[in-house]
Amino acid sequence: MKRSWMAGLIAVLVVAAVSTGLGVILATSQAAEIAVPYIQGSLPMDPDAQLWGQLDKAQIPLTAQLIVYPLSLDTKARTLSVTAAHNGTHLAIYIEWSDDSKDVEGAPGDLYSFGDAIAVQFPVNTGAMPYICMGDTANPVNIVFWRAGKGVENLVAGSAYGQKPGQREALGLQSTATSPIEKLPPEAQIWKAEAKYENGSWKLVLIRPMGSTDPMVPSLKPGESISVAFARWEGSLHERGGSKTTSGWYTLKLEGVAAPAPAPTQTVTTTTTTTSTTTVEVIPPAIKGAVVGLIAALAITIIALIVFVARKKALTT
Amino acid sequence: MVRAQVSMVMVLDKCIGCHTCSITCKHVWTNREGQEYAWWNNVETRPGVGYPKTWEDQDKYGGGWVLENGKLKLRLEVMKKRDPPKITDYYQPYDYDYEALFTDQLQDKQPVANPINAYTGEPMDIKWSPNWDDDLAGANIYGRMDPNWRTLEKEIYFNFKNTFMFYLPRICNHCLNPACLAACPRKAIYKRPEDGIVLIDQKRCRGYRFCTIACPYKKVYYNWKTGRSEKCILCYPRVETGQPTVCTLSCVGKIRYMGVVLYDEEKVLEAASAPEQDLVRVQREIILDPFDPDVIRQAKADGVPENFIKAAQESPVYYMFKKWEIALPLHPEFRTLPMVFYVPPLNPVITALDARGKYTADYDTLIPTIDKLRIPIKYLANMFAAGNEEEVRKALKRLIAIREFFRLVEVEGKSKAEAAYVLEQNGLNLEDADKMYRWLALGRNRWIIPTRKVELRMKLPKKASGR
Repeated sequence: MKRSWMAGLIAVLVVAAVSTGLGVILATSQAAEIAVPYIQGSLPMDPDAQLWGQLDKAQIPLTAQLIVYPLSLDTKARTLSVTAAHNGTHLAIYIEWSDDSKDVEGAPGDLYSFGDAIAVQFPVNTGAMPYICMGDTANPVNIVFWRAGKGVENLVAGSAYGQKPGQREALGLQSTATSPIEKLPPEAQIWKAEAKYENGSWKLVLIRPMGSTDPMVPSLKPGESISVAFARWEGSLHERGGSKTTSGWYTLKLEGVAAPAPAPTQTVTTTTTTTSTTTVEVIPPAIKGAVVGLIAALAITIIALIVFVARKKALTT
Repeated sequence: MVRAQVSMVMVLDKCIGCHTCSITCKHVWTNREGQEYAWWNNVETRPGVGYPKTWEDQDKYGGGWVLENGKLKLRLEVMKKRDPPKITDYYQPYDYDYEALFTDQLQDKQPVANPINAYTGEPMDIKWSPNWDDDLAGANIYGRMDPNWRTLEKEIYFNFKNTFMFYLPRICNHCLNPACLAACPRKAIYKRPEDGIVLIDQKRCRGYRFCTIACPYKKVYYNWKTGRSEKCILCYPRVETGQPTVCTLSCVGKIRYMGVVLYDEEKVLEAASAPEQDLVRVQREIILDPFDPDVIRQAKADGVPENFIKAAQESPVYYMFKKWEIALPLHPEFRTLPMVFYVPPLNPVITALDARGKYTADYDTLIPTIDKLRIPIKYLANMFAAGNEEEVRKALKRLIAIREFFRLVEVEGKSKAEAAYVLEQNGLNLEDADKMYRWLALGRNRWIIPTRKVELRMKLPKKASGR
């Protein structure tokens, strides 16, 4: 009897520690930023365009997904070189990674190949930072998924079990969730992709309009920030599904459209907008999460102790 | 929890290898781009390697379950296998250049429709296709590669006079413990609670192909065109309205029987984890007696409709698998509890010329000893009973008994009562003999399939029954 109570207590503490731990990890990864400069004119779809060579690239480390079946069998570290730009109406993300093999799927009669793939994940609610592993019902994520040979898809994950059939229909989804990750309706397929494999590396350009009419796809505004995370599947290792490598959360910091204006005005305009988003909405959830985790752990421990003592008393009397 | 399953029995003695089942299935379900190579129903020649090549070799394909410290695990997880089968494991689909028959230049020889690659249209040399073993009498080569030879001295069976063959038609087994379902991380595969049909939700499937690895029968086929996997659907739109599957309907040899069995859902895991030699027996045990009042009461409580219970009482599958024990599951050692059963082939007794040049069959009694049959018992046991020869012997003995009984009655003029001892020796009675005769010999009422909804049933003939 006593032992089971102690075991329960330890389990509660472990869970609390892990959730607090996650909060801490999220908070630290938040520090990494990917600057999204404002560029005048149209953004190049061509992965070989000069612009992509000129921009600074963030190095995003990826690690194997080891929580749910099927696990990744590869434990080697991987890195993505990422940069982005916007022109006030469109956002472009450029991703480059080295890969010894070009894996493309969908050729006639090809049952064996799996295409190299990339996913970029955003919170549906721009101010939030959802659970890194494809969101949850309270905080869904919007995922753009590109696979060599199959093209690009705009998906939503985490919303599946959080909405009523009527709400789902209004969002253009099936009234009953068919899957925790779902393809968005055709009008929400706003991403375009172009990829090129050359000299042992892939170059991928993903472009979307900044605005969105679909509530499952976040609208982006110059001068604001949005969290972003990345995943990569290596086709030659037959990675698919959960067998993948993922990053933590990063921040895409979109430069204001008034970029060419002198520095002082720029800081004034951006601080007003960014302070409202970053201080109030972006950083606090992480710390809040950590604090809530700690408080919850303490509360549960105290309750458990009270119950434990009460039971012991009851037993002795 | 009592559940109903629509399942099938195939009587291998009656299969003539005409492939009508495969062709009708192909034309109804897989006559589409992306499924050119897929045969939801196929017929194999045994001994042989089957389709895809040596599919029974799980060291190669990683299908089914393994028992590790008493726990069931997917073999693909134990093997860390991530590679699905290749098109070459099935075959390179081809067509014929029929156009050439009309457009060829006038010449001395007949125009020829040469084989062309179905994908590229290029001329190709056909090297392999489903049932290649049979089509080109290839058993001479491929028969030796049959995985069921394990533990057998195979060479003697390739000698003249010792050779044997039979056909093995295969569909999805709609297993009680499907490995495909368990392997799908998207939970795209489900087993319908009302009739046990295993289906792939095309909306959930993302083409990961874990199911194509995990199915030990290799009956899930990846569609390269749609990027999703597909499989035999047991013709559910037909079955729901009380009609048999097209493979059953079109079967020339009338070898296929369809019916409902009731089973105990809670015992499925236990049955799948039984020791190898007990697998067939334990699978029989979880099939419930549809006449038992307790079973009927529980079935009703668990939502099994009245017409399903009634169908289960008339089900040829119930009689052949559970009651008479003449039908066996295909490779129970894969531990998926397959729900398509096979009555093993009862084959000629090996005869020899005696000193006077006459054929002598070695009869110990009126019933010849099973081990004198041409097809080695061990071979059949490896295929249908996880190596347990007793299960095969029991089935074959009963099949011989029923023939012997009718021989005594029809040829030797004995009364049924006089001949009944042959049946009784083998645990059968006169009533069983009549039923067996009606089903196996006459082929009447080969399918007893209840319709799914009362309103559907109203619009159909009273009972959908065999031709």
